[in-house]
Amino acid sequence: MAAAIETKNLTKTYKSKAHGLVNVVDKLNLHVEEGEIFGFLGPNGAGKTTTIKMLLSIIEATEGEGYVLGKELGDFDVHKLISYVPERPYYYEYMTGMEILKFYGSLFGISDVAKMEGLLEKVNLHRDKTKTISQFSKGMQQRIGLAQALLNDPKLLFLDEPTGGLDPIAHREIRDLILSFRDEGRTVFISSHELSEVELICDRVAIINHGVIARQGKLTELLAGGRVEITVEGMKKEILSDMKINDGNVLELGNGVLFDVPAESDIDAIIDGTRAKGGKIQSIVPRKKRLEDLFVETVTAK
Amino acid sequence: MRPILAIAKATVGEAVRRKVLLIIFFIAALLLFIAPLLGVLSARSEKTVLTGFVLGIVQLSSAVIAITLTVYMLPNEVERRTIYTILSKPVQRYQFLVGKYLGAISALAIMMGFMGLITVAEFAIFQKDVAKGISLLQGIAMFFVQMSLLSAVAIFLSTFVAPLVNFFLSGGIYLIGTLGFPFFDSFSRNPNSPALGKGMAWLVTNILPNFASYNVQNPLINPETQISNPLMYALNAVIYGVVYIVVMLILGMIVFDRKEV
Repeated sequence: MAAAIETKNLTKTYKSKAHGLVNVVDKLNLHVEEGEIFGFLGPNGAGKTTTIKMLLSIIEATEGEGYVLGKELGDFDVHKLISYVPERPYYYEYMTGMEILKFYGSLFGISDVAKMEGLLEKVNLHRDKTKTISQFSKGMQQRIGLAQALLNDPKLLFLDEPTGGLDPIAHREIRDLILSFRDEGRTVFISSHELSEVELICDRVAIINHGVIARQGKLTELLAGGRVEITVEGMKKEILSDMKINDGNVLELGNGVLFDVPAESDIDAIIDGTRAKGGKIQSIVPRKKRLEDLFVETVTAK
Repeated sequence: MRPILAIAKATVGEAVRRKVLLIIFFIAALLLFIAPLLGVLSARSEKTVLTGFVLGIVQLSSAVIAITLTVYMLPNEVERRTIYTILSKPVQRYQFLVGKYLGAISALAIMMGFMGLITVAEFAIFQKDVAKGISLLQGIAMFFVQMSLLSAVAIFLSTFVAPLVNFFLSGGIYLIGTLGFPFFDSFSRNPNSPALGKGMAWLVTNILPNFASYNVQNPLINPETQISNPLMYALNAVIYGVVYIVVMLILGMIVFDRKEV
């Protein structure tokens, strides 16, 4: 599959009075395929927004190279094919939803009112088109942001914290919209802290930490594995001293123990062993590896 | 051109709704309304006093509006992230800067236009002299060129100076260029001036904008004072202003183009 975004050793260096030259983004190698939803994760100050600004050619990279939709970074023509919704964007408050679309449309030379009506309908704002932005809720502002981002029928959308600070209903609405973008064949690049959201909708992710990509790949592969929790009643931890539990933990609970073992462990052997020692299996709960676990593990790793 | 006009239009819409600008405008309008009552404060003719007050109020309030309007214009767009949604579209940075500038001076034109209307109405009602009121519009038009020049200076400075510093810097340049320019000009021409002072005066008169050319109060307040060729004088002042504005905008574009936003 063709790459929507490809970077090779992309680096951004800033001068800091306290630390001298600092690589905010350091030799970044990103690969985003066309038609996928890509999650770009990282703690605050990791270099996410700087990366997005470089990909949008709003700032120049200090070193390295990058391609967006096959065009080299800095190629002005690519702006006709991409769109960006920043985190907590501000739109001119005196304008109505329709006026916002007309304003952003005019930057492309688009004046098709029927298309704008259609976009308002798509983001469920057609009934509020006469309200000014100052009367919009946060969720509505985010949705008008997405509507303006669709004006040029982009092949690639950059969304910075698209669900940040929204209530659960608005979360779901935005999530459904993002999924519909993929169904329409668009590539979506999401920078977010909402890990549960990313886990639900992204095909692939990259985790950036201190300006360096620490993990990158398919979500299914990165989250492979997981743990199994086995709760046993009527036995003490000491009785199990001769049992071999590789890469697992045994915790004492009131009247029993809890085994926390990797999913690939020999679960049958643990069950048989505890039964043989008089234990009674209470529950066996497989626990899938979550993105949050992977994220914490990645950003806290030395 | 299309993005420039769209950005200018949006800027006007926002500027004429900014509370701080509206407050300055309403204070100016209020002062214009009460100006006819101030004639008693001077021994000169009521019409002369009114002319002086009206022009003073328009000039001072327009300068405050021009500076307040422009110093926050670019920094606000960056802080509120609006600039990113615009620059990620097919819009060049110079188009953004020029659009913002044109929007600012259009908003200024609207506000100064209203002040001009109040002036004409005032002379018609209180002095029964519509012609005099209309003649003052020439002065207000010259002030508009002056304020456009001031806005260009402030926009240029806003590409690399923090808003508060810019406020005082632009204000200072305006004061020097308005009140101090004739002094520095004569100082630099005087053969008896000390060399260092002469050099500094030369720098001021050749680098800082000459705002004083647009101060046409004197002939308007005292009709006996004549400018030998008023049309030529106005034309020269306008051409000087336009050239200076273009230079400021080009310098602003160069700095803004390299700026990390």
